[in-house]
Amino acid sequence: MSSFRYPLRWRLMDALERAADLLWPERLSRFTGWLMIAPALLLVGLLVLGLAEMADGSLRTLDRATFLPSEELSLANYETALGSATYWRVFGRSILGATLATALTLALAFPYAYALVRVPGAVTRKALLVVLFLPFFIGQVVRAYGWLIILGNGGMVNEALGLVGIAPQRLLFNFPAVVFGLVQYLLPFAVLMLAPALTAIPAETETAARSLGASWVRTIWHVVLPMARPGLIGAGLVTMTLALTDFATPAMLGGGSQDFIANAIYDQFFRTADQGLGSALALMLVAAGSAIVALVLGLFGAGTLAMGARR
Amino acid sequence: MTPLPRPDRAPEPGQPAVLVRDVDMDFGSGPLAVAGASFALARGRFLTILGPSGSGKTTLLRIIAGFQQPTRGEIRIGGQAVTATAPHRRSIGMVFQKLALFPHMTAAENVAFPLKMRRHDPATIPGKVERYLDLVRLGGLGGRRIHELSGGQQQRVAIARALVFEPELLLLDEPLAALDRKLREEMQLEFRRIQKELGVTTINVTHDQREALVVSDEIIVMDHGRIQQHARPVEMYRLPANPFVAGFVGVSTFLEGRRTATGLDAGGAACAGTPVGAIPEGAPVQGAIRAEQIRIEADPARLAGCDTILPGIVRDTIFEGERLLYLVEAPALGLALQVYHHDPEEFALFDAGAEVSLGWNARDLLIFNRQDGRDGR
Repeated sequence: MSSFRYPLRWRLMDALERAADLLWPERLSRFTGWLMIAPALLLVGLLVLGLAEMADGSLRTLDRATFLPSEELSLANYETALGSATYWRVFGRSILGATLATALTLALAFPYAYALVRVPGAVTRKALLVVLFLPFFIGQVVRAYGWLIILGNGGMVNEALGLVGIAPQRLLFNFPAVVFGLVQYLLPFAVLMLAPALTAIPAETETAARSLGASWVRTIWHVVLPMARPGLIGAGLVTMTLALTDFATPAMLGGGSQDFIANAIYDQFFRTADQGLGSALALMLVAAGSAIVALVLGLFGAGTLAMGARR
Repeated sequence: MTPLPRPDRAPEPGQPAVLVRDVDMDFGSGPLAVAGASFALARGRFLTILGPSGSGKTTLLRIIAGFQQPTRGEIRIGGQAVTATAPHRRSIGMVFQKLALFPHMTAAENVAFPLKMRRHDPATIPGKVERYLDLVRLGGLGGRRIHELSGGQQQRVAIARALVFEPELLLLDEPLAALDRKLREEMQLEFRRIQKELGVTTINVTHDQREALVVSDEIIVMDHGRIQQHARPVEMYRLPANPFVAGFVGVSTFLEGRRTATGLDAGGAACAGTPVGAIPEGAPVQGAIRAEQIRIEADPARLAGCDTILPGIVRDTIFEGERLLYLVEAPALGLALQVYHHDPEEFALFDAGAEVSLGWNARDLLIFNRQDGRDGR
């Protein structure tokens, strides 16, 4: 009698494989790869369809008498958007805010990710991960509301300031508050994208740099940062895109005075019901985002996202 | 090639290049990783620390490099106590196990890195980089990226990078372990050539006994955190201090028995041998005999002159290219001996089952006291 028992999991897998063979016979196996990415292709396809629909809508102006889109096509909506000082301001604020938020997020995320990867104790690493993920579980709206409680006129910070005799400061509903909120929102994304890039740098490489005479700071500057470049660029692209298209943070921490493009689009769709102008703004946002990604990839190469064969 | 200036190694009388004194390393769990290690290394010598994995050889190297603080003991380099000195303030060049080259730099930039970090005059850096690239025979390849170089060329970049700032001491942390055999043997000779050319004091760590014998002026064998023997390669091979060294360096067969006036008695079979140290008669002993010191013949008459002659039966014949390895069972001893046969005449091989005679001289069977020696098996 053999002591080896065929594991239950293997028997289950065998049954599943037989069932799969009935549905998708072996001779179709060279199409299996396509079958598996079909759902993803479908989703992307739907998105493209929606974009095409929006492109069509963006060419029709709103008839203010009937509140229906016009039959004839024109570039009037784009002219309105580009001719409006307000939209230029919103656009500039979005770019500036997203750039600042990205720079600050990367500056804060790098040391955090480095600590996460290099800290010797498993307990410390878990603690760092939990602290990082906590804001994720809370959700963006509740988190923004939390900031209202902490930073508001009667909030905790102003109360503390009052105790030392400083008059209440206006800490909310301004540009710095929005950037601050974005950084806090984006930090976990950046850390999670940087951590694998830093894990890929062998600790021995840093030891070598130290033994060759580099101080800790120069090791980071000359060795770790350049080797982490793919991760930094990937994380930068993701945070930049998320910040540029963010809606909740400018809406709640900006209090209507610090709109980003997404807020302007929202207003057109759901307040003034001018879907044509909203669509035009949305497409311009897509174009701006794509241009930034294309610029970064063009400057640093697609290999920076570690998709190329060469590292 | 322009001659390399010999680094300033003015001999300080009575000061060894490296002095390790009573070093213990306790990681807190289990026995000491390094226990009571002491040795001195003279200037310009090439020392190899040899041992199996877990013997503490790498820990000892990392303590000398300064990456680890010993629990107890002292390290001196060039007469200066450096036990508490940071690695980059010790004058040490190190070649790492996985090389740890900087992939975002060219070969020349890798070699220039320590010069820049140690703030050498920028005007002198290109010349030094070129000289050391020439030294490791990479002249003209300085502009290549690391991934554009072969494994052997990457080794050479790592050596140049560790030597270019003219350190007092070169440390090699098993850099050859991952190479295939042919390249490894080529690089062993390169290490030896470069070390002799520069005269830099070198400590190498390896588990490869052949490498230790080939490259070193001196060998230290370690096991279980303790230094088992410190000797020149020939001495290490011919006169191992205990059964562990006899078993680790070279191929030996071990016999259990009791000390007699002429050798040892293994369960009734008298074997002529030479005791290592004074061992009282009747004491339990372990004998070690190397595979190449046993002669194998079909006709016992051809073994005339051997101090011990035993009958045996061939159990297996293993062709190793430059020699044959026989596993021969000796009924009188109740075990199988490993026997090398170099250059057999006319392919006169013994097949499994062949009845043969084995012989050896008293000089070649080393007898160790079981009370103090470590077990060889």
